[in-house]
Amino acid sequence: MKRIIEYRTLFWLLGVSLLSFACGSPPGTENTTLNNSAPKPNAEVTIYVSTDRVFSEPILRDYEASTGVRVNVVYDTEETKSTGLANKLLAEKNRPQADVFWSNEPVRTLVLKKNGVLAAYRSPQAEGIPANFKDPEGFWTGFSARSRVIVYNTDLVKPDEAPKSIFDLTDPKWKGQVAIADPRFGSTSFHVAALYAELGDEKADDFFRKLKANEVKIVPGNSVVRDMVARGEVKVGLTDTDDVNVALEDKQPVSMVFPDRDRLGVPIMPNMVSLINNAPHPEEGKRLIDHLLSAEVERKLAQSEAVQIPLREGVEPPKNIPPLSSFKPMTLDYGKAADRVEDVTRRLQDILGL
Amino acid sequence: MESVLKNSELRRSAIIRWRLTFRGVIFLAAAVVFFCFSVLPVGYMLALSLIDERGDFGLENYRTLLAFDSRQRGLLLNSAALGFGAASLSTVIGVPLGLLLARGEFAFKRFWRFGLVVPLVIPPYIFALSWILLLGGLVPGFVYSVFGTVAILGLCFYPLPMLATEAALRSVDGRMEEAALLAAPPFRVFWRITLPLVAPVVSAAFLIVFVLSVAEFGVPGLLRVRVYTTEVFTAFAALYDFGAATALAVPASLVTLAAAVFVAKIIGEKTLVGRRQSSSALNMTSGGSRLVLLAAGMIFVATCLLPAVVLLSEAFRIRNLSSVVLESGAAIANSLLLSAIGATLVIAVSVILGYARGRAGTNWNWLADVVFVVIFAVPSTVVGVGIIGLWNRGGLEMVYTSQAIIVVGYLARFTPVAALILGGIVRQIPYSIEEAAAISGASWPRIFGRIVLPNVRNGIVGTWLIIFIFAFGELGTTLLVAPPGETTLPVRIYTIIANTPPSEVAALALLQISFVLLPLAFLILWRSREKRTA
Repeated sequence: MKRIIEYRTLFWLLGVSLLSFACGSPPGTENTTLNNSAPKPNAEVTIYVSTDRVFSEPILRDYEASTGVRVNVVYDTEETKSTGLANKLLAEKNRPQADVFWSNEPVRTLVLKKNGVLAAYRSPQAEGIPANFKDPEGFWTGFSARSRVIVYNTDLVKPDEAPKSIFDLTDPKWKGQVAIADPRFGSTSFHVAALYAELGDEKADDFFRKLKANEVKIVPGNSVVRDMVARGEVKVGLTDTDDVNVALEDKQPVSMVFPDRDRLGVPIMPNMVSLINNAPHPEEGKRLIDHLLSAEVERKLAQSEAVQIPLREGVEPPKNIPPLSSFKPMTLDYGKAADRVEDVTRRLQDILGL
Repeated sequence: MESVLKNSELRRSAIIRWRLTFRGVIFLAAAVVFFCFSVLPVGYMLALSLIDERGDFGLENYRTLLAFDSRQRGLLLNSAALGFGAASLSTVIGVPLGLLLARGEFAFKRFWRFGLVVPLVIPPYIFALSWILLLGGLVPGFVYSVFGTVAILGLCFYPLPMLATEAALRSVDGRMEEAALLAAPPFRVFWRITLPLVAPVVSAAFLIVFVLSVAEFGVPGLLRVRVYTTEVFTAFAALYDFGAATALAVPASLVTLAAAVFVAKIIGEKTLVGRRQSSSALNMTSGGSRLVLLAAGMIFVATCLLPAVVLLSEAFRIRNLSSVVLESGAAIANSLLLSAIGATLVIAVSVILGYARGRAGTNWNWLADVVFVVIFAVPSTVVGVGIIGLWNRGGLEMVYTSQAIIVVGYLARFTPVAALILGGIVRQIPYSIEEAAAISGASWPRIFGRIVLPNVRNGIVGTWLIIFIFAFGELGTTLLVAPPGETTLPVRIYTIIANTPPSEVAALALLQISFVLLPLAFLILWRSREKRTA
């Protein structure tokens, strides 16, 4: 006596609703109506930020307080689990909600440039920033940088015994004692792509094969690398300056080495700021970009726990970090490195058995 | 006399027809909501994966699947092993505990029920971290392995089969067991009567744990076990290729599909159905129950106390706890409100879907379960991008640019799970009661309101709790769709986790756990009180 649901009716109606959705306007076709809306009495700007919230929030709140412009923020982080705001921006490409993208590393910005998500804007504030940190076409401008560093446990490794070059990590003396974050994600993906761009495929492949043979531990994120080194589970690891600084502030037994200062050069990762193509508030977006590129913001990021290295000369570097002029940065064509990410990801999956 | 009979038959059939139509409209509304919120985002992404770089129709994204190499096959095998292992372990732990909670008579029952649900609200990642800190140095070979991962995920998720078993046993007749006990030993009664009674709900819980374990990549990552989910994630986070990511999700969906079909075929529709009655026959007051109680105690210590001690000892190192708590106020309020709204909406839709699935009279109704499981298994990032594609358009800004879009995400992700569980619960309620009411002339809304809902009430409360907990911890979809401004507590914790000392992260994790526990404690106390007054 069970009632049979009328499946045919259900499927028919589902079909109709599917069709009505399919025939609806595709995303973005009504862009103009949104963009041409009358200016609101209270100015506002929307920014997507992948620089860690603890560091970026105070800067954006200060801007809001000093200008009266309402700043709408979506935060993210580069930890492994994040699929990144870049995906949100790509998905929203036909109907952008953001005006500005503030990225904490170069790769994502360059992916967005390639996909037509960004608009060119050359900020007058970018004058003091060296040319290699600016896109010749104006789609992005770099400011305040982090660096990739070797972190070591000071209880287990003496300063003069700590590795000075990433190539030292393949030494049998560090067998099973090296941790790196998954090289497919976050700043590690930038680092490995930069290495391939600099060294060439053969040398880079060889380096990672040796690293694998030395039983490198691949963990979910840079903060995990830092914590493992701090706990003494491994003696050394590769991570970012800001990650190490958190442990230093927390009085953990760690220290850092800027690798390859003389030979290959230190891999520097600037923040990058870009205007979004068809942004809802382009003028407010440009004003916010100008502010982020000011010497004042570089100073604040240097003095905060982010310990970011100012790209301008004349802005005081953070404590524990040498100034940019004191070491050789890896000569990086950021576009070239970003272009390698996809291919390098596939290579390393095989070499490192990811 | 004859004509009078005919007239009454005619009248009855007219009533039935009307009922069918009304019922049909309600079913249809629920099906449309399910379709629009849960199926369409996935459909949108599948459509996207069929478009090549030039914007034409093409199978380019699926061509890579043809070259599925040994590395990927290994990853898929790892994921399947992890799913089956964790689901089996959680079922083996959860079912006896559920039986104990439903049929046992022992002291501090409320406390035990509350305590044993706690692991479900501890984020698995935090759980794994605590275990690494405890055992990573002692038995690294076990912790950093597939077995260690299975153990941790199984312990994280056993409350699901436990809650399912308890809810199911509360809805079934103790007299069947009573009658069987006259002729058979307790173990045989448990195996032949009790287990088949709870089978539909337990199998739903098994599949949910399977899906959750396969979807997990934080814990395997931490324990250095390579899993297939990372492949899909890599396509998003490293390659930014939506089409490829969706195509790569297909093999994992097939594994889930196979698991769902396998379970559906084993369970079939041959479930025992009995009338609801409060008396409990297989009364667990002595003998074996002590053993189960002892095991429960050990599981409680292992799963709740140890991680809690580790988290607390970390959190006590914090420099400024009050600032961490105060700054998270808005996120906590948001999380509580959005999860409660989300869970309520999900339940409203799923009760109807579950009822429709439970009462569908075809031989193919198990397919509905398979659809629910497969939709639930779609990676949260795929769902998130699909939602953006569908909702970021003219006329829908009100939803897309507000917090409502987060609730849309909850509906998309969790309606299938809730429908799966509630479908299992509805199947336990004998249809004969509804038939009797219908023959007595009760309208369908009246039957549904007066007979069906009271019978599945325990199931609804339990499922609401599960969905609330899931929604409270949801991260993958929320991260993508969240509008500017303060969003939810997990998003807040997640966006500050990298550059915050471990002590503050531990404090925030404890905060998250305690705020999910609040409604849980309230509901459990409320239910116990209600039972006592009854």
